[in-house]
Amino acid sequence: MSEAQQVAPASPPPGKQVIPLSEALEKLSKLEQENKLVEADDLATRMMAAMPEHPHILHLAGIVSYRNGRIAEAIERMEKSQVIAPEVALYPRNMCEVYRGAGRLEDAVRAGQRAIELAPNDARAHFNLALILYEKLDLEESVRVADAAIALEPDYPEAHFEKAEALLLAGRMKEGWESYEWRFKLKQAEGMLPKTDKPQWDGQPLPPGRLLIIGDQGFGDCIQFGRLIPWAALLCPQPIVAASGELTPILKQLPGIGKFVTRWEDTGDYDAFIPLSGLPRLAGIGTDNVPPAGYLAPPAALVAEWGEKLDALCPKGKKRIALVWAGRPTHKNDKKRTLKLKQFAPLFERDDICIVTVQKGEQIAQAGSYYGRAPLINLGPEIGDFIDTMAILKNVHRLVTIDTSVAHVAGAIGAPTSLVLPKAPDWRWLLDREDTPWYPSIKLYRQQVAYDWSGVIERVAAEL
Amino acid sequence: MPEGIKPVLCSGNGRARIVTEQTLKTNPCPCGSGLRAVRCCALDAAALPAQDNTSLLETQATEATKFFNEKKYTEAEALALKILDLAPNQRTALRVLFEIRKAQNKHDAATALGKRLAGLPGLAAARAQANTQFAQYLVAQGRHAEALPIAAAAVKATPKDATVQHVMGVVLTETGAVAEGEAHYRKALKLLGRDDGLVLANLAWNLKLQGRLDEAAAVYETALALRADNKRGAGGQAQVEFGRGNREKSVAVLDAALAQWSGDRTLRLLRTMADLSMRQPQAAIDRLGPADALMAPEVLARAQAFDQLGQLPDAVNAWVTARRMQRERGGLAYRPEAIQAQAAAYKAYFTADRVQVLPRAGAGALTSAARTGAFTPVFLLGFARAGSSLLEQLLAQLPGFAIGDEFGAIGELAAALPRLTSSDATYPEALDELLVGDNLQAPDRLRGIYEGKRERLGLVRPGVRFITDRAFSNFWHLGLIKLLYPEAPIIHVLRHPQDLLLANMAHDRKFEGNAQAGLPALAHYYGVHADMIRHFRGQLTLRYMPVRYEDLVANPAGVLREVLSFIGAETNVPDNIGANNAAVPDPLPAHFAGREPVHQHGAYKHRAYVAAMPHLFDEVRDTLAPLIEELGYKPLGVTEGAAS
Repeated sequence: MSEAQQVAPASPPPGKQVIPLSEALEKLSKLEQENKLVEADDLATRMMAAMPEHPHILHLAGIVSYRNGRIAEAIERMEKSQVIAPEVALYPRNMCEVYRGAGRLEDAVRAGQRAIELAPNDARAHFNLALILYEKLDLEESVRVADAAIALEPDYPEAHFEKAEALLLAGRMKEGWESYEWRFKLKQAEGMLPKTDKPQWDGQPLPPGRLLIIGDQGFGDCIQFGRLIPWAALLCPQPIVAASGELTPILKQLPGIGKFVTRWEDTGDYDAFIPLSGLPRLAGIGTDNVPPAGYLAPPAALVAEWGEKLDALCPKGKKRIALVWAGRPTHKNDKKRTLKLKQFAPLFERDDICIVTVQKGEQIAQAGSYYGRAPLINLGPEIGDFIDTMAILKNVHRLVTIDTSVAHVAGAIGAPTSLVLPKAPDWRWLLDREDTPWYPSIKLYRQQVAYDWSGVIERVAAEL
Repeated sequence: MPEGIKPVLCSGNGRARIVTEQTLKTNPCPCGSGLRAVRCCALDAAALPAQDNTSLLETQATEATKFFNEKKYTEAEALALKILDLAPNQRTALRVLFEIRKAQNKHDAATALGKRLAGLPGLAAARAQANTQFAQYLVAQGRHAEALPIAAAAVKATPKDATVQHVMGVVLTETGAVAEGEAHYRKALKLLGRDDGLVLANLAWNLKLQGRLDEAAAVYETALALRADNKRGAGGQAQVEFGRGNREKSVAVLDAALAQWSGDRTLRLLRTMADLSMRQPQAAIDRLGPADALMAPEVLARAQAFDQLGQLPDAVNAWVTARRMQRERGGLAYRPEAIQAQAAAYKAYFTADRVQVLPRAGAGALTSAARTGAFTPVFLLGFARAGSSLLEQLLAQLPGFAIGDEFGAIGELAAALPRLTSSDATYPEALDELLVGDNLQAPDRLRGIYEGKRERLGLVRPGVRFITDRAFSNFWHLGLIKLLYPEAPIIHVLRHPQDLLLANMAHDRKFEGNAQAGLPALAHYYGVHADMIRHFRGQLTLRYMPVRYEDLVANPAGVLREVLSFIGAETNVPDNIGANNAAVPDPLPAHFAGREPVHQHGAYKHRAYVAAMPHLFDEVRDTLAPLIEELGYKPLGVTEGAAS
């Protein structure tokens, strides 16, 4: 497009700046990337008013709409840009992700395929399609397309990681763990590993106290993979464990650990390091040799204390059902896994239960609008840490939860749990099964249709 | 403002006015006393003549008093003004001018003069007299809170003066410190050494407010026998008898009083309310007479009568008129600012993280017996006319329950918290003091105060395991309730929001911020009420149970059993339980006066109104719709059945 094209009307009102189109587009793009969504929205609106048929304005404005949560508008704008400029590969490439966000997986696949047609050498186009195929649970195809992306750009961590997730979800654990190693090259993994010239541990024995184990990733992963610390300690006795302060009291329950640190500068000398999430690969964990759960337990005194508290708070003679309905909003898949409290309505209809929410974070506010039939005790505000949560779970009949750290806490202590999962779940829950080799006390309730929870909670409620 | 002219603040009526030094010299004081400002609100205390020296003017001042007593007001005023221009602190002249301005209803001036008079140094008796007069003046105007320190000063000056004690009793009673008010009335009687009709009548009203209706009735008998010319006393006695269930006697007292004081509107209104309580709406309308001659409370009574008659548009018309009168003539427009500010402050303070670290009463004691003490309070929440009083009336019939009604509310502790914790902050920020030193035990101390009050009310007695607390202000104070009773049951009586608005619009009750001013005001206030409860439920672990009014009236025994199961009371509920077949509790809450058999004609009342007036709720639709949905009632506009 020509530099002479201008965004603002021909005779702008005094005080309004006229800037060249290319500059305006760049500015819009920058605002969007810097998360300045209100400003971006404002600029997009002005640009669209000046040039309503410009495909790139429409496209960027669509992205801004998407980021602002106005998905229908985003799709309308971006589809229009595609009609005007059907040969621009970028448009279907981005469209693919927007359709995914809207839950329109078939459209997303078509857009992804079109993007590859237009730009067969664009690794990103392949990657986007691989994501959609994972969502569609077309895992073999997802791996194939991710491989195509990797062939074009061998050092493409996101594509490797996507491939890992597809392989792991398909139960192809050994291959999956290898690709999984790429996770530390992901942008969001920065700072998770120490800055050191020491090597990553290769699984060979080391002298006592010379292995540093790092509690990387989320709480859930740390709890899940924490079970392998005793295995590591057999090879490298008394390992140093570096983890956040909140995790320390949990991991302390595991045998064989040398010392705990919460800051890199306190680790002292070591010969090699290994993130917790690297242990399954070294230990050769598949779906048939997972070390048993039950490796964590809350202190008996705390269990008794919470028992008394719950006796005081909950009406007698009702089954206590613990509940978590929302995850950490910053989690990449939170939209997929998180529900609203009121979506658990089928549970609330039962008059033989008392809901004990162990939800933490801002989402607890939803408990204020609860008027269901079953009594609901919003216990989150009293919970200090995961040890409290464990002690509470020992005092309830069952936990009903989404895929979040509390599910791992429950699984690790062997608390009976109903876990509701999206159609395309996190890899660790595998496919087509109601149980999980990681946690025998957890029963899985899967979405039948992607992004549609109807029927899922009903099944949970019916089986309580 | 030109340089060299300094503003001077004149605080005659509490409102600051700007006066320049120039005008100050010659102009009369803006308070309207008739004195020059330099001799009135802008006077320089240091430049006053010594109090003793003002006695030189006493002869003249006595002359002014004489004029006053002879009703020669012009002469009295002129002389007093002259004397006060010479000596603004001349007590006798000040008193004369105060009385004159008072009689003229010049309240700014009377307030300024009365305050100055009360502050003069001198003998204890003189000081007490001045304070008492000023306090009485404020009481007569309903300015009880302002009268509190004045009356207190009088008591400190002459504690053995019966009049002073009597005024203190009135002020305390009217500011809500009812039990304390009783103590001062009793002191007054003891000091008098005899029965006094007026003091006794006031004592009787005080006892009525405390729910001690039998005692109140006996005291009224004595009071009115001593002094029959007491209209208010008769009205009070009628209310007491009505509350005791002696409706015939109540009506007889009112009829006799009305025969004597036929023009008394308060008595007539009481008699009208009796008509309405006995479901005789036509009698009420006839008694009130032509609509255009009525005052707002009377028009509201008419609205209730029309409601009972099923003349719904007339009912709405009446309360719309009454509310307009109150807004436009009574100055009772909705002032939501303070309410909103309080809501914002409480919501900002009471968050899960902040409350988690605060100490709670009974902490450290792990057994539930130690935690809950001798009795378990049962907090009843609910917007006005939602049915929490009905629930309380039903609970009153069960063994193990004592009825706390609105007596001794937690809100009083919130107000006293800064003082009790020596905090410079106000509530709720003052709660931060609980994190430090001996205030760690403050929740236990506060609980002790609360329980002490309940003990003095006679609620704590053998066999009582649960004491209800139905204070309306509890919706503000769930945060403090959490700290004092972390696991106490909280029962929230819900009712369809449109029914609530209808019931309240026709009911003469004053809410904070004048939220009764109109339908939009009340809807907004109801929204704040709902918002506070939602917030506390979202941020605190509460043992909370909602109960629907509609379910309660449809199946009182069933709902009551659920409530009892929730609070852990193993009490048998008879199937035929109703609100009116109870032995009356002691103390007796005011709402027992209106008790009637449980009936369902209040449930979903708005449907008939909306059928008659489809646009009645249009102006509050946006406020109500989300609240109705949240509660799980059918959305606005849908009239088939109700989800519950």
